[in-house]
Amino acid sequence: MLRRLRKYGGGARGVVTLMTSSAPLVIVGGLLYAGLFVKAEAVVQKVEPPAIERRDAFYGVAAPDERTVWAVGAGGKIVRSEDGGDSWVRQSLNIDANLQGIAAWDDKTAVAVGNGGVVVATSDGGATWTRAEIPGSNNPNKLFRVRIAGDSAWAVGEFGALLRSTDRGATWTRVLPEEDRAWNDIAFVGDSGWLVGEFGALTKSTDGGATWNPVEMPNKVSLMSVAFRDARNGVAVGLAGTLLVTSDGGDSWKQVPALTREHFYSVVWDEGRWLAVGDKGVMASADAAAAQWQLGRVAEGDVSWRTQIARAGSRYFLAGSNLAVLDDGALRVAGRSRM
Amino acid sequence: MKNSTFGKVDATFAYLIRFRALVVAAVALVTLAMGWQASQIEVKTVFSDLLPRNHPYVEVNQRFKQTFGGSNMVSIMLEVKQGDIFDPVVLGKVQKLTVDLQQVEGIDTYQIISLASKKIKEVRASTEGVESRPLMWPDLPEGEAGLAALKAAVLNNPLVYGPYVSTDLKATLVTIDFSDGNMDYTRAFNQLMKLVDETAGDGVEVRIVGEPVLYGWVNHYLHETLTIFFAAVAALVVLLCLITRTWHGTVLPLLAGLVSAIWALGAARLMGFHLDPLVVVVAFLITAQAISNSVQLIARFDDETRQGTPGAAAAARASARNLFKPSMLAIVADAGCVLVVALTPIPLLQKISFIGTVWVLTIAISALILTPVMLSWFGSRQRFIHPVNINPLLMRILGLCSAIVTTRWRFAVLGMAGVVFVMSGLYAFNLKVGDANPGSPILWPDSSYNRDAAEINRQFQGSDRMFVVVAGKEPGALREPEVLSSMTRFQKYMEAQPEVGGSVSLADILPQVNRVLREGNPMYQELGKSAEENAELMYMFVSGSDPGDMDRYADADAKNGAVTLFFRDHQGETIRTAVARVRDYVEQHPVKGADYLLAGGLVGVLAAVNEVILAGQIEAIALALLVLVVCCTVTYRSTVAGVFFMIPVLLSNTITFSYMAWQGIGMNINTLPVVALGIGLGVDYTFYIVDGIRENLHRSHNVERAIVNALMGPGKGVLITAMTLITSVVLWHFSSLRLQADMGVLIALWLFISAFSALFIMPALVYVFRPEFIVGSKRHPIEQAEPVLVG
Repeated sequence: MLRRLRKYGGGARGVVTLMTSSAPLVIVGGLLYAGLFVKAEAVVQKVEPPAIERRDAFYGVAAPDERTVWAVGAGGKIVRSEDGGDSWVRQSLNIDANLQGIAAWDDKTAVAVGNGGVVVATSDGGATWTRAEIPGSNNPNKLFRVRIAGDSAWAVGEFGALLRSTDRGATWTRVLPEEDRAWNDIAFVGDSGWLVGEFGALTKSTDGGATWNPVEMPNKVSLMSVAFRDARNGVAVGLAGTLLVTSDGGDSWKQVPALTREHFYSVVWDEGRWLAVGDKGVMASADAAAAQWQLGRVAEGDVSWRTQIARAGSRYFLAGSNLAVLDDGALRVAGRSRM
Repeated sequence: MKNSTFGKVDATFAYLIRFRALVVAAVALVTLAMGWQASQIEVKTVFSDLLPRNHPYVEVNQRFKQTFGGSNMVSIMLEVKQGDIFDPVVLGKVQKLTVDLQQVEGIDTYQIISLASKKIKEVRASTEGVESRPLMWPDLPEGEAGLAALKAAVLNNPLVYGPYVSTDLKATLVTIDFSDGNMDYTRAFNQLMKLVDETAGDGVEVRIVGEPVLYGWVNHYLHETLTIFFAAVAALVVLLCLITRTWHGTVLPLLAGLVSAIWALGAARLMGFHLDPLVVVVAFLITAQAISNSVQLIARFDDETRQGTPGAAAAARASARNLFKPSMLAIVADAGCVLVVALTPIPLLQKISFIGTVWVLTIAISALILTPVMLSWFGSRQRFIHPVNINPLLMRILGLCSAIVTTRWRFAVLGMAGVVFVMSGLYAFNLKVGDANPGSPILWPDSSYNRDAAEINRQFQGSDRMFVVVAGKEPGALREPEVLSSMTRFQKYMEAQPEVGGSVSLADILPQVNRVLREGNPMYQELGKSAEENAELMYMFVSGSDPGDMDRYADADAKNGAVTLFFRDHQGETIRTAVARVRDYVEQHPVKGADYLLAGGLVGVLAAVNEVILAGQIEAIALALLVLVVCCTVTYRSTVAGVFFMIPVLLSNTITFSYMAWQGIGMNINTLPVVALGIGLGVDYTFYIVDGIRENLHRSHNVERAIVNALMGPGKGVLITAMTLITSVVLWHFSSLRLQADMGVLIALWLFISAFSALFIMPALVYVFRPEFIVGSKRHPIEQAEPVLVG
């Protein structure tokens, strides 16, 4: 090949000679350079955090309609589903506090409460959440639950906090004076309201929440949740398997013999039966009369704690040590593809 | 080579052959002494040898491993087939195992953690306040009620339910840690396996993983490894005997390999090194070199006698003289390449490199000197020892080589080689640093160890751990809410990676205690709002426990703590991603009062090893090639020569790396020695061919005839060596250790490609490009040989 090139005369030969004599130097230099200075770069795969992470605990869940579900939890987490809990999208919120409760008027408007007196509200389906100011206090200000009754939103929490908002969560006023007792839940049917809390406390209002009167209770066990199916029939649940039933609008309460020592954290009326959920996967249910209670589990083998159960259509949504959807007896934990 | 140097070499060999009895006696004496040393060499794995020196991760690991658990963690899983583990029989087994493990050699008795150990506790509220009590120590729960209480306690405790009891309640874990000291891992492994066997049964399956167990398995197969080694040597003997059909052709290459091995192992012992059972393949690699050199000398010797050189001594001298240059070049270049490996700051690799360098250099005596000297004893008239003659077959192959070089096919061969080079060069970039597959690449995927690992990783968060130290600037830093919540967010961030099965830290414990304090209400499962509150929670957890029980999470004055991450596998990519994510997090979320320090535990140490290998791989390859280039340039006094000989080396390496990438063999601490030592492997084949061409050109100017002659002469030696070595290397494929099987294939591949390039590609290149250092030019014509005086 070189011989052929030589035909083209001295110029070509010169180029070839130059190339063959310089190439080795270039290669040796290149090797030396590579050996001393070139360091391999590691290729690192990108990790997109899923909307629901393994470590997430959820405390509150709200389902304003069959498709829309909101859930809030530890570390300021808000997730929303628009397909009845099949898929979830994280909503951004620059707050690190644990969120404990959420309530929604419809698929656009909602309010959430949590540790340190945090209250956030949205009117655009959660695209933006705005922080609302609450009446100041020097006491711990942890808010547990927020409920909607008509046009009002009610938030309950530590140190006797009972707050009311009549403008969809923008501004709040204190309804009851502060005291060293936490209110854990509130329920309204029409103008009748019931408020439950620590040390077995229950107070009742018959004027839409303007005034509240304590009710004598059968014991002093802290009550965590209360629900009414009409103005007369209601159930309150609490720690150590406490189940209290009333059929006179909450004036007198009957204790159901304890089925379990596990705590109950949430009770709902689902238009057919009473459902109470709590620690280690326990779920108690009863018919409308709330006389015969049955103890079971949310699902076989499930031992997660649940702080709230909500229903929309045929599905139940459970907040707790994980976020789960109960559909026709089958439990699906959100964000767990590995299970 | 200048005629004068030629003469000096010749005179030296004449001298050596004249006093051959003395030479052989001297070599025998040294071999005997070295053999005695070599017989004392220890075959074992020293874990600290695997750790890169002065790497920050390793320093963190060494500093904190006592408290946070080092890289020698072993996990034992007890799994029931029916029901759940809350059964008196199963729990009894856990308890017995926990007690018996204390007797295992080298175990860190403070790091035996199981349901039945004192370290696994629950915090509970009682009438006297909050107390923290061991779950199942010292006694097993009694009756149905006791079992139910235990079950409830486990379910309530995220530090147990998940990490030590599987979510389906069918399996429980016992974790232990071994000290790094100089101990007998084989004994520990046997004791462990005995305990595992004792524990299994009654519907309970026991599985065990961890680095000490892995290396226990490797040692377990040591006997098999040696059997395969000797079988491979036996196969070599048979093949050499078959092909050469002479006694000297069979015995002398073997003698060369043996003497080299004995000297090298003796020297290793004198240097105070031990032998890692995994690198036995490396021994085979260097032995291959020794055999190759010896076979060339013998082939040349046979040629000389056939061409009528009078007397065995003269023929031996002639072959030694003529092959001195390519042999010496091969030895020096290879030794240089092997020595470069020592630049990687991992003790294991440095030791292998030093042993390897000595080993390669001993070939100068065992093959270069011993073979011709011994040959001089063999009569010049050889009788064949068996009638099978495969020489015609060899000649047909060599004839094919010549035919290709001398016809237009040479362009096809060169073109194809170019294409293969470019393609394999590009594909080789897929080569992974670190393990390329889940499970251990040392063992086969269906080995009991890898199946155990898969099962344990399926049931639990992951058996491989990494701890990240949270180093506070002041005592008490770990009580600050800011530091603790940063740890929580860090754990959450890290757990987004799917291979991270979970994590645990002090920031997980305090919310649990807080919840217990608040009647078990999960709405209070959160960190304290102030340092004082956190101190109180910590006190609640520690109260009633032994000093040191908290050490796994934080030290006594709450200055340094650890976040322990559990990994489902330790593939290179998993580790790199995790380390990069730790860095990202620390960079984006700095926290006042504390620093995050990478990284301890097995995964932390592997991260260090992988980083060192990744940083060093270009350096190692480039410098090895540089050594080769410099050796060739100096020997042939031509820079072109250096570049010319890089061609077969580059080709064999790109193809081998492509094969590794394709087969999922990662560059890790176990494969690197073979890869690094293999860089120079087989380049001697080309040396012999090219030198053969040059030598023939000393006699006549016809390049074509010179090439054909070289192929028929040294080419035959190349073909014999390659055929025998490749065939015997195949035996490694039957090893129970996947690593050795893989490495066997790699060596075979290297040898095959080297032989192929030496026989097909390089002669064609010489023919086409006519490099000056081989064929000469008008200005520097090839010196014509003067007749050398024989006698």
